[in-house]
Amino acid sequence: MKSWVSERLRHRGWEASAFAIYLVVGVLPIAAGLIYALAYSVGLAGLLGKGFTLAHWTSLAGQAEVWLSLLTSALIAAATMFLTLLAGACFALGLRTRLRQGVVAYVVYFPLALPATVAAFFVFQALSDAGLLARVFHALGFIRRPGEFPAMIHDSWSLGVIAAFLILSVPYFTLFFSQVYRTEHLEELCRLTLTLGGKRRDCLRRVIGPIFWRRGRSHIVLWFIAMFGGYEIPLLLGRQTPQMISVLTMRKYQMFDLASKPQAFIAALLYFAIVSLLMLWAFRDERLDRDV
Amino acid sequence: MSSFLSRPFGRVVPALLAGTLLWLAMACGRQEAPAPDPITMEWSAIETAARGQAVTMAMWMGDPYINSYMRDYVAVELEKRYGVRLNIVGAQGGQIVSAIMTEKEAGTATGAYDLVWINGETFYQLRQIEGLYGPFTEKLPNAAYIDFDNPFIGIDFQQPIDGYECPWGNVQMALIYNSERVAEPPRTRAALAEWVAAHPGRFTFDSSFTGMTLLKSWMIDLAGGPEHLAGPFSEERYREHSAKLWAFVNEIKPNFWREGRSFPSSVAQMHQMFANGELDFTMSNNDGEVDNKVLQGLFPETARAFVFEGGTIQNSHYLGIVANAPNKAGALTVINFMISPEAQLEKQDPAIWGDGTVLALDRLPQPWPERFLSLPNRRFAPPRAEIQDKALMELAPEYMIRLYDDFRREVLGE
Repeated sequence: MKSWVSERLRHRGWEASAFAIYLVVGVLPIAAGLIYALAYSVGLAGLLGKGFTLAHWTSLAGQAEVWLSLLTSALIAAATMFLTLLAGACFALGLRTRLRQGVVAYVVYFPLALPATVAAFFVFQALSDAGLLARVFHALGFIRRPGEFPAMIHDSWSLGVIAAFLILSVPYFTLFFSQVYRTEHLEELCRLTLTLGGKRRDCLRRVIGPIFWRRGRSHIVLWFIAMFGGYEIPLLLGRQTPQMISVLTMRKYQMFDLASKPQAFIAALLYFAIVSLLMLWAFRDERLDRDV
Repeated sequence: MSSFLSRPFGRVVPALLAGTLLWLAMACGRQEAPAPDPITMEWSAIETAARGQAVTMAMWMGDPYINSYMRDYVAVELEKRYGVRLNIVGAQGGQIVSAIMTEKEAGTATGAYDLVWINGETFYQLRQIEGLYGPFTEKLPNAAYIDFDNPFIGIDFQQPIDGYECPWGNVQMALIYNSERVAEPPRTRAALAEWVAAHPGRFTFDSSFTGMTLLKSWMIDLAGGPEHLAGPFSEERYREHSAKLWAFVNEIKPNFWREGRSFPSSVAQMHQMFANGELDFTMSNNDGEVDNKVLQGLFPETARAFVFEGGTIQNSHYLGIVANAPNKAGALTVINFMISPEAQLEKQDPAIWGDGTVLALDRLPQPWPERFLSLPNRRFAPPRAEIQDKALMELAPEYMIRLYDDFRREVLGE
């Protein structure tokens, strides 16, 4: 009995210590940063702050720039996520056995090791007006000059940005869905569906789809957030206006007009608020210790 | 589970926590005692104090020739002659200002940078936040060779430098074209508009510093001459003349690269497109850069540079010492070497960098004037003497700030 009590106490001591480390290393810097950003945005912090004011908030709220930036970022992230899930599910289901061994099993991991900047560089080399694809088109006689190649870098549809994001996200979800397929015994469940008179479509819609979504929801939201707030890829490949939110925030932070610095903090706070709401929604009934 | 956690981790975790807190406390408390202000010291004492110091210099690192000059020549000579180690880090303009501003806001006594390579806008911002150390130029022995009364050197974006930055190089904006495709370049703004209309998709400018400098030159031209925009910033004059500028740009931009819906984000990107044959023109704030880029093999040998009849901006770029620099004596020693005749001569060689000197040749002792005059001639850039009468003074920094903002709204349609 005594040893059980001391064991419990030691365990609680460990939990308290771990929680304290998490607070100091994980929560405190972010909380401090947010408080500082808020203070800066209302003129209570910063070298050029002149006391409390809501002028920066009202000024930014009246500019379409930041709202368009948030909307553009969300649309690009959503479009990429949609294509990722489609491609990831197709590859996972189509390459079931090959993903476990052989060259495919090795190659599919490779893009996961790429930094975002390198992925952006690859896409730039491949899709720019004078890139590899344009050269192939030129060699085949489809275009006469680089300018005739359709714009895919800094373009209005953000095709280059989406392509670079896909390089990073599709392999991840291919592997993730492939693992879910195995661990949830989806093959057996589908076989059972067919035995009970269901069709392959029912298997996809009623078995695989819902399980992929249930197991992948938190991953999807986290990837959405990563792309929503992505910096390097939209910086190198994205359109100039409206810019994605991280690029806009950094531009305002480093603008020559120092008076626009508080607006950068407001943009960051808006981003944080949206991301927090998404996280709350995504993890509303997730248990942290659940096997994902 | 609990027994697994209780033994090793039960001790490790509190130790980790204590270690983290200790590290944070040490990091927060790392404030070194301030060194004596070198401004009060004799030059020989400054050089003695500099020996052994590691000076961190923030600079734009987008050109391999400039990087090579700094790493393979300046850094090596400094170590050899003065025992000063030069650490070069990549940062420019807004990044430098943000870093210094953040340090000041945090009350950091010793900053990350000692020395910064800046231009007028950054100088204006750093002066606003009192981020620069000085006045120090009078302390530098080699500053005696600089003519600070030359307005293109002693005045930076209409602001007197007042000893808070030291001139390092002097350049004039030039347009670069491919003479194989453009036999005779359009030398006026009107001629350029005609050329662009006749050659859709072959011209653009970048949305960064160089492009904005071109816009400034055009605005001066549209205003009727530099005297109309000289002096401190005037909202009224800016509105009047910028309206003409935006009308001009919007009129010709449908025939720009990508119909003017998008602009290259940097001059480096534009150089790349020029080299690829996507554009017939690129531009540079350094009139001598065309030689440098041909020698690098980036531009074809048919590349040439020219300056508009209406003139282009000529300006100097400078070296500043950060107010909270931990190695001020070292920074002074570095700057003094960088404005020495030897270092300036090396820098002006087109095969090295091709950057114009800030030294007044008539102030140099023999044999330096001859050495400067006998440097290999520019092969592809116009001679400096030919374009000097087309040099325009930089405008007040607020004009540049407004052009950056308004370009996004008026031209990009933000």
